[in-house]
Amino acid sequence: MTEYQRIMADLSKGLAPYTKGLFEVDENTELVGDLDLDSLQIMELLLFVEDSFDISIPVSILPDVKTVGDLAKQVEKIIGHA
Amino acid sequence: MSQVPDINITLLATPTLSASLLRLADFSTLAEALDYAAQGESGANFYAGSGKLVTVFPYRTLREEARTLAKRLLSFPLERGARVAIVAETNPDFLRFFFACQYAGLVPVALPAVIHVGGHKAYVNQLHGLLQGCRASVAVSSSQLLPFLTEATEGLGLKFVGAASAFDDLPVQNIQLQASGPRETAYLQYTSGSTGFPRGVIITQQAVMANLVGSAHGLDVRLDDRCVSWLPFYHDMGLVGCLLAPMATQRSIDYLDTRDFAMRPRRWLELMTNSRATISFSPPFGYALCVRRLRPEDIALYDLSAWRVAGIGAEPIHVELTDRFSELLAPAGFNALAFVPSYGMAESSLAISFAPLGTGVVVDWLDSDDLADNFIATKVSPNTGSSFVRCGPVLPKHEVVIRDERGNTMVDMHIGRINVRGPSVMSGYFELPEQTRLVLSADGWLDTGDLGYLIDGNIVVTGRHKDMLIINGRNIWPQDIEAIATRQPELRSGDASAVSIPGPEQEDVAVLIVQCNITDLDEQHHLTQQLHREIHEELGISCLIELVPRHTLPRTSSGKLSRSGARKDYLLRRKSKASHES
Repeated sequence: MTEYQRIMADLSKGLAPYTKGLFEVDENTELVGDLDLDSLQIMELLLFVEDSFDISIPVSILPDVKTVGDLAKQVEKIIGHA
Repeated sequence: MSQVPDINITLLATPTLSASLLRLADFSTLAEALDYAAQGESGANFYAGSGKLVTVFPYRTLREEARTLAKRLLSFPLERGARVAIVAETNPDFLRFFFACQYAGLVPVALPAVIHVGGHKAYVNQLHGLLQGCRASVAVSSSQLLPFLTEATEGLGLKFVGAASAFDDLPVQNIQLQASGPRETAYLQYTSGSTGFPRGVIITQQAVMANLVGSAHGLDVRLDDRCVSWLPFYHDMGLVGCLLAPMATQRSIDYLDTRDFAMRPRRWLELMTNSRATISFSPPFGYALCVRRLRPEDIALYDLSAWRVAGIGAEPIHVELTDRFSELLAPAGFNALAFVPSYGMAESSLAISFAPLGTGVVVDWLDSDDLADNFIATKVSPNTGSSFVRCGPVLPKHEVVIRDERGNTMVDMHIGRINVRGPSVMSGYFELPEQTRLVLSADGWLDTGDLGYLIDGNIVVTGRHKDMLIINGRNIWPQDIEAIATRQPELRSGDASAVSIPGPEQEDVAVLIVQCNITDLDEQHHLTQQLHREIHEELGISCLIELVPRHTLPRTSSGKLSRSGARKDYLLRRKSKASHES
C-alpha cells in the first residue's frame, strides 16, 4: 500500500459517517458537492485529519481542495515535509 | 482521558496587572491610547491550536514595532488617509500593521481571512471587490495567503502588495511621525453586508474612542481584568471589542485563532481556565459550539469562576442556549449571571448597549400574535409565547428611539425600527453617499435596520434586518445565494428565492427555492449538486435546495419576488409532504 492509499483509506473511514450509508467514499468524492459538508463539518473533518495524522493543516490549502483525493494528496505532502 | 493541555511555561504571557494607573479609554486617539498602554507590562498573547503559547506581544513592543513600521510605510509615499488593506489573520502582524497606520496617519482596513473548501476563485473575487471598494494603496497578508492576495490585486494598480515580512526591507524614513488625529479616520470596517455590495464603514478616532469609553464603563473594567478572544479581527466584535478595547484599558488579552476555535471549541474554556480571564465575548454560535462539543469528563478540568463578563451578542440570543451553557458549566464555577447580552453594530463603532452587569439574561415573554399582527409587545406568563432578551440601556451620551415606518417615534412596548444617535456613530459608508443617506439622517440618527422595542430604558431586539440569514454566526444575504442560482445557464433572473427556516435547535437553516423547467432527474441532481458546491465555495454554508416548476415562486403586487411568500409556501409544502409520509 502506498502512502497515498493509506491516507485515502483513513480518510474514507473518517468520512463514512457523512455518506448516510448511501455510497462509498473514493478519491473522486467531492467534500461539498457529494458529501454536502457545511463549514462546521469541514472543521470536524480537519480536526479528524490533524489528529489522526498528527499534522497541522495550513488554511491556504483548502481553497484548492475539492475532492477527497485532493485532500489526501495535500496530507501526503504535509507528512512528507514533516 | 482528556486533559487540559499543558500550556508551555517557557514563554510567559503578559500580566494584566500593571504599575500604571488604570485609564478607561479616555484618550483622544488610538495612538495616544497605545502610547499610554505601552508604559505598562500588559499586552497580547497568541496561542496555537495545540493550546501552546507561541507569541507574547506586550503593548510596549507593539508600540515600538508599529512606529518603526509606520516610518517604513511612509517611504512609498502615501497620501494621508491612504488605505492599507490587511488580510486579518489572528497574529501579531495584524496588530503591527493596524497600529503602524495609526502612527502614520494611514487608514487600516481589515480583510477577511476565511476561505472555504474549493473556494479559491470566490475568495479572490471577494478580496478584489473589497480592495477596490476601499481603493487600497497597499495590501499585506501572511506569506501563506499572499498568492490569493496577489491574484486579487491584479489590475488594481496598488503601490505595494506583499507579505508582512517584505515590509521589513523598506527603508525607515527619518521623519517625525504625525499620528492620526481625533477627527481623522481611525479605520474602515467592512460590514457583514452582502458580498456583492461591500460597504466600508468610516469610523473616526473620536467615534471609536467614544465607543471604547462607553464600553469600558459599561463593563466596569477593573485592574485585574483579563480577556480571551477567538473572534476574527475583520469582525467589529473582534477588532473593537477584543483588540482595541483591552488595549485602550491597558488589559492583557489571550488570542486563539478563529479556525482553531471552530475545530476545538473547548480550547476557549481551557484558556479561560488557565489565564483566569474575566472578560470574553462571543456570538451565541460560539457558546452553542461549546455546548455541542463538551464532554462530561471535561467539566471538572475547567475553572471558570473568574469569568465575570460573558458577553453575548451579534445574533439573536435564545435563553435556552444560555440556560444550557450555564447549567453545563456551573460545576466549573461558571456564573449564569455573568452573561451580558449586548447589542451593537459596525455602523456604531461596535457597542450600542450592554445589559446591566450581574443580572444575566433577562427575558421578556410576549404574546406571539400581538407581536406579529399588531407590532405590540404584550407580556405573557413565562415559557409561553415568544421570548426576547433585554440588551440593556443605550450607552451614556447616546440616544435610542423606536420609529414606525413613517418615522414617528413609538412609545415603550411598541415595535419599530431601532434608531441610534451619538458620538460612536459612523461618518458614513466609504464613497457610497446614497447608501449612507439611506441609513444616516442629516441630524445624525442611524437607522439600524433592526426591529425592536424599549422597556424601562432597555433595548430589546425582536427582528433583524429584513431577510438577512444568520448561519453559524455569519450574516448571509439572500441576494448572494440567489445570485449564485440565477447565474447558472439553466436559470434566469427571478428564478430563485433564498430564505431561512428554523432548524431543530432554533438556529437558522438556509433554504434556496429554485424554479425551473427541468424534469429529467439526472439533470435535476446535477443542478442541485452544482448549487450546493458553489454556495459552499462562496458563502461557506450548506443550504437546502428545493426545485419547483416555473411560475411557482410568489410575487408581490409590484411584480417583485416575495421572499416571505416563498418561505410560507415552502413551509406549507414541507408540512403537507411530512403528513403524506407519516
